[in-house]
Amino acid sequence: MGQQIFIFGAAFLGSAVEATEALTIVLAVGLTRGWRAPILGAAAALVLLGLLVIFFGQLIVTTVPEAALKLLVGTLLLLFGLRWLHKAVLRTAGVVAMHDEERAYEETVSGLRDAVPRRDWVGFILALKGVFLEGLEVVFIVIAVGGAGHGFPAAIAGGLVAAAVVAAAGVVVRRPLARVPENTLKYAVGLILTSLGTFWAAEGMGASWPLDFVSILALVAVYFVASRLAVALIRRPAIA
Amino acid sequence: MNFLRAAGGRVLGLFVSDWVQSGVVLVIIAAGWFGVTKLGAPALVALVVLLAGQMVWFAQAEARRTVRPSPRQSPS
Repeated sequence: MGQQIFIFGAAFLGSAVEATEALTIVLAVGLTRGWRAPILGAAAALVLLGLLVIFFGQLIVTTVPEAALKLLVGTLLLLFGLRWLHKAVLRTAGVVAMHDEERAYEETVSGLRDAVPRRDWVGFILALKGVFLEGLEVVFIVIAVGGAGHGFPAAIAGGLVAAAVVAAAGVVVRRPLARVPENTLKYAVGLILTSLGTFWAAEGMGASWPLDFVSILALVAVYFVASRLAVALIRRPAIA
Repeated sequence: MNFLRAAGGRVLGLFVSDWVQSGVVLVIIAAGWFGVTKLGAPALVALVVLLAGQMVWFAQAEARRTVRPSPRQSPS
């Protein structure tokens, strides 16, 4: 039960970050060129992403032996989580600027202020491409945490709930979700995915963790301390 | 074609932002695999310490490389 909650949480938080970025693109296109084309583009992207989850999810779970699956997925999850964690550390320390959804939104909008034809292929393709590319990370998170942890329903539910929550927030505010603490979310998800990756990769190697799944909390603590140490060592004045 | 290239780049970019760091992580995992097979649980401690240590080391390395003439927007 605890493992399923962990999987749901990891999929939810990771998906929420990427859904926020996809929403920024759809809002920018919709508010400047009308809603029909970007909504169709986003829907088409979601169908493609759903097919990827079903196809690759089934493929890896049914064809790859469990130990190999844990080692492979754990390694990929570790690389993925470390990338997010690395970026979050650099942002927290002020080495690189925070990701700014307002600025990303304004840049997209400024490039879209043309006359809009009745069939707006530009709006459709922009939304399709934006949602699909941002969604690839969601697909990976859902397949990885769901596949290796025997928790596909929990992972898929986490991804879907995150997408629904972000979409609902977007409908209400009709502005980019600039107040979502994206760096904090990426920091937390980076910690969780790095820990899950380490846990599963080691299990795939044949190791047994003391206290089994509870060890993940200790791994989160270790990586958190290491990341704070990194931030302390490289901290600079914050960039706006 | 551009779309496929962007998708391919995005998939690769999921796991690799710095080839050297990714290579070091893979070497640590390979060494961990060997160590776990031979030594069992104590190798886990070394594996975790090495993974956490490389994170600190590469963050410091990137901070040293990054001169900051003007604030730059980091990609997502």
